Amino acid sequence: MKTNYDAIVIGGGPAGSTFARIAAAGGMEVLVIDKRKEIGVPVRCGEGLGAREVIAQGLELPKRCISTEIYGAKVVAPNGKSIIWKDKTTTGWVLERKMFDKWLCELAIDKGAEVRTYTRATELIKKDGKIVGLKVVQWGEKEQEIYAPLIVSAEGMEARIAKAAGFDTTHRLYDVDTCYQYEMKPYEHENLIELYFGNKIAPRGYVWIFPKADKRANVGIGIGGNLTNSDKNGIPGANPKVLMDEFIANHPTLKDASTLVDFGGVISVGAPLNEFVKDNFMVIGTAAKQVDPIHGGGIALAMETAVMAADAALKAHKKKDFSKATLLEYETKWKQTLGKKMEKRLMLRKVMEKLNDDDLNYIFGAITQKDLNEVMEGKFAGPVAKVLAGRPELLKILGVLIGK
Amino acid sequence: MITIRHEGCILCAGCASVCPTGALELVGNRIVYYPEKCVDCGACVKVCPANVITLKKGKK
Repeated sequence: MKTNYDAIVIGGGPAGSTFARIAAAGGMEVLVIDKRKEIGVPVRCGEGLGAREVIAQGLELPKRCISTEIYGAKVVAPNGKSIIWKDKTTTGWVLERKMFDKWLCELAIDKGAEVRTYTRATELIKKDGKIVGLKVVQWGEKEQEIYAPLIVSAEGMEARIAKAAGFDTTHRLYDVDTCYQYEMKPYEHENLIELYFGNKIAPRGYVWIFPKADKRANVGIGIGGNLTNSDKNGIPGANPKVLMDEFIANHPTLKDASTLVDFGGVISVGAPLNEFVKDNFMVIGTAAKQVDPIHGGGIALAMETAVMAADAALKAHKKKDFSKATLLEYETKWKQTLGKKMEKRLMLRKVMEKLNDDDLNYIFGAITQKDLNEVMEGKFAGPVAKVLAGRPELLKILGVLIGK
Repeated sequence: MITIRHEGCILCAGCASVCPTGALELVGNRIVYYPEKCVDCGACVKVCPANVITLKKGKK
């Protein structure tokens, strides 16, 4: 087996495989290792993806990756009032994530990258203090040393090697959402993503219903990590599975539906890492905490980030210089573009968690579908003014969104 | 010192993602616990969506 590459990518999720595809297409010899037996399995995700980034990368999703097309969203306030926005064209998909992740890896392989499953990174190899490679264990076999001037951590939430390289990849409870999800059937739907808000339903989070093919749906809940399970230590707390079951028991149709899969996970909803690169090392995607703090989505961000990182890596490859100074191009570009968007989303998350159910009901009643669009695009001024006109006392919570 | 009820574990590795010391790791189809690294902070206990981790204080 080959032991020398231009780059080793840890993790075959959307970040890792997209990086590998672009870097390999540009002429680098890239190895992707994934500790799982099968790429994309187990699924630990709601499987939603907006259409924009896939289109931007010139990719055409094969049918097998798509469970169903999405034409809009329905956002439901604690009192049951909802705002619906619909589009005639596809705004996104609910994926079959197993197929999707595998497909992205196949695209990387088509461009010349190599992918090895069931292969776990155990340790960085350093020479004179410099990172030169990675020790890996292929399941049931001896440890092996692989060398490359660039290691890319696309490890996801559990970013052990990035941590070993000196990045602050530990997640604080306040900055994660704990999630539980069922795949359920039957569920009659209108190809809308449904989101239910309320501090009773889902403290500091929401319940989602993502429609899938054949009358199936991913029904999930995410709640603040700092509010989860505390009751075991004598503090009132909440368990996502218990709350999920309560929501389903009170739902007019889901209460009679069956479950096909139980799954769960923990997702970052905080700030990204302060730094993404060091000499001979890059962190991309969820490993770099590049996840949308509002909805916990990471696929599109990971794919967009991976392109930036691969572009910087290709320049470094050409110069034969993988120092931090060269790789920094990726980090600088990210902070100027995606970082700016993420800052606004984080601000919005921190505002939303201060609102009680009565405030939420009022806000959902006051704003329109168009306002909601503006909020999601980070344009807060109009919608905030509208809310403050009727409930000026909310200024102390919402003021931060308009710089007051 | 923590104990994990493995039969209820959904292998999300959320515990490993909040562990400040790397005392938990998903290896194959099992969460592996390295007690010598554990500092009894309880973050994994709180975050576990399946509620299968328990903290046993003072038994390190």
